[in-house]
Amino acid sequence: MNMLAAAIAVGLGALGAGIGNGLIVNGTVSGIARQPELRGTLQTTMFIGVALVEALPIIAVVIAFMAM
Amino acid sequence: MKDYTYMVSRQLKWMFYILAIFVSGWGFTDYQTIFAGLILGTGISTFNLWLLQVKINRIGQGVVEQDEKKRTLGMLTRFATAALAAVVALQYPEIFNMIAVMIGLMTPYLVIIIDYFFTQTELTTRKRGE
Repeated sequence: MNMLAAAIAVGLGALGAGIGNGLIVNGTVSGIARQPELRGTLQTTMFIGVALVEALPIIAVVIAFMAM
Repeated sequence: MKDYTYMVSRQLKWMFYILAIFVSGWGFTDYQTIFAGLILGTGISTFNLWLLQVKINRIGQGVVEQDEKKRTLGMLTRFATAALAAVVALQYPEIFNMIAVMIGLMTPYLVIIIDYFFTQTELTTRKRGE
């Protein structure tokens, strides 16, 4: 049962992070492709977005290992 | 492009400052398990931060140069390093405090948010020509 809980925690966390990262990268890549001179600003925004999206799944991974 | 490079070096600088404070705490105070956990978590999360910065820069470079190569963000690597920290802390509970490791893993997010807040405030309150 503990293994199932760990798997659900990591799986749902990674699912959410995957969708979120996909949306962020999609927007940034199309923005840079349209206006390459704005690369620095867009990359900064993408970096902060991706970092904050991945905070929760990383905590989920640690909690899953604690639950196992 | 310069603002991204400056942001990268600023964030890494602050992470190393925080790491130095934790190492001092481990050496000079009696809370050795807590500071060892903070050092483990912050060290691994500094690597994660550096990896994310490098990967995002490579993606931007690839888009500008219209490179057809498939690139990833390295999400799995970051999860694996966080899992490594958790496994080490669970394996040696007498050396590393688990809660401290989790706080250490969340340190770069605080650095990112505070750095972004200060940079934005500086940019928006500056007058024209300054």
